[in-house]
Amino acid sequence: MKSLSLLRRCTIDSRNIYRQTSPLFLDFLAPSTLRQSTQLRCNSTTAFQNDNQQSRSNKSKPKYRLSESQREYLDSALRVNQAGELAATRIYTAQRPPVVRSHPHLRPLMNHMYDQEAGHFSTFNKLIAKHQVRPTAMYPVWQAASSFLGWSTGVMGREAAMACTEAVETEIGSHYNEQVREILSWEAEAERRGEELDDELKEMLATFRRIRDEELEHLDHAVENDSKEAKPYDPLVNVIRLGCRAAIKISERV
Amino acid sequence: MAQPLLLSRCPAAAASSRRIINPSSSHLNLTTTTITYSRNIHSSLRPYRESHCHRQQPKSTQLTPVARSSYSYLRPYHSKHHPEPPSHEYTNSQTTILSAALNHVPEHGFTLDSLTLGARDVGFLDVSVQLFPRRELDLIFFWLASRRGLLRGKVENGLFEDLSISDPRTETVKKGNELSVEEKVKILILERLKMNKEIRHKWQDALALMSFPSNVPLSLSELHALSSDILTLAGDTSVDAAWYTKRLSVSAVYASAEVVMTRDETAGFSDTEAFVERRLEDCNAVDGKIGELKQCLGFMGSTAVGLGRSWGLKI
Repeated sequence: MKSLSLLRRCTIDSRNIYRQTSPLFLDFLAPSTLRQSTQLRCNSTTAFQNDNQQSRSNKSKPKYRLSESQREYLDSALRVNQAGELAATRIYTAQRPPVVRSHPHLRPLMNHMYDQEAGHFSTFNKLIAKHQVRPTAMYPVWQAASSFLGWSTGVMGREAAMACTEAVETEIGSHYNEQVREILSWEAEAERRGEELDDELKEMLATFRRIRDEELEHLDHAVENDSKEAKPYDPLVNVIRLGCRAAIKISERV
Repeated sequence: MAQPLLLSRCPAAAASSRRIINPSSSHLNLTTTTITYSRNIHSSLRPYRESHCHRQQPKSTQLTPVARSSYSYLRPYHSKHHPEPPSHEYTNSQTTILSAALNHVPEHGFTLDSLTLGARDVGFLDVSVQLFPRRELDLIFFWLASRRGLLRGKVENGLFEDLSISDPRTETVKKGNELSVEEKVKILILERLKMNKEIRHKWQDALALMSFPSNVPLSLSELHALSSDILTLAGDTSVDAAWYTKRLSVSAVYASAEVVMTRDETAGFSDTEAFVERRLEDCNAVDGKIGELKQCLGFMGSTAVGLGRSWGLKI
């Protein structure tokens, strides 16, 4: 860990030095040949530092470079996840009062699920701000729609509320699963090339896995609490799942 | 079309690169020879260029760097581990010509003349303006993109750290790191406006060209890129609908201030500064009002729901 932080400091230092020596203009507007050479220089410095570190730790491998389409994928993935967690927190906020009023024994469960969703939401808010990802333009729409969904299923009763949770978590869980699979495929590709993913991506992968597991745990809770007993079970669940899929598709784009 | 491109690339390009490395070398000699050479070529090619270029333009715009670079305004997924994509994809020679042409803008404006003079300055043939199928527009967008880069560079080199602002109302001195996002946005807008100082008398022509219907999408995306950069550099971290409203308001303030600046004759552009301050205050006031309205509506809504629940309704 210590060596890792050392390495990071080294790279930052070298970048600063580079920035000072090159005129302001070129740093940003370097023509293509110049740009290539600066990239080469960056590569060579990191490689050099890696060699230095090699004696101390075996962990240093060249970092995997994300391609343009992979960046776009991450861009839309983070946007969708943030929108999804926004909707989830709103659904639980709206569901909680009517459900808890008629079934007080569900209070700890509802609180637990809400707290986890709120945690996920703040995680993605931070990631979006950190990676300068554009939030979805449908933000207010999802806010209103999810509040309405949560409130209406909450009013329909405990079973309907749990069926709603089941439908939403099924969709979200499989969506997270796809993202984890995608990042794992990048990891495999990096392995083949003798590279490794950068720390942020590794951390993101771990976060996605943890959140996926928590969402699927909510799914189990919902099934335990008689979600299958909801009165018009099939239409209700199908409509909600269709809505989730449509919302995911829309949030990926806008 | 292929012929002039080829011509412009061969001897002159090499000369230009040499010139950049060592400006004191005997380039006077070189320039004169190239100019005479290029003038001959130019005049012989002129009929060809004027008759054919316009018809070929739609086809060639698809291949232009500007058309492709408009994509990178979208700025997907940033990370410190992955270097930022360049803001445009001009080639080496294009960048050289455009940078040289910017020196002529205060005198000749954003015109084809500036481009030609710039090309001559760095030893290219006059016909090398054919490298820019959008012509003057390429110069304008290069200006905008490069100023955006300069602004970013200034912040990275410690624009805010070196700054300390005294607030007359509270009589405290704020260091750069303690500035709020709004204050930083104001500083950045003014800083960007100051870069227009030398070309402001020519800027209205450029604005006119940019507001030509077919150029509007590109102009707007450049404006968005600037406002997005300003907010990011100011450390704004809004992740909801405010992301859009903030960028809209910064764009509006900047664009209107730019127009005001073209007619500002006061020393140090104090009128423009006052204008920017007023507009930002207006934005904050509107923001505050909307926030209050939302709070009020939310309060009324929750009261209504609470009232319904106390009456025994299952809501």
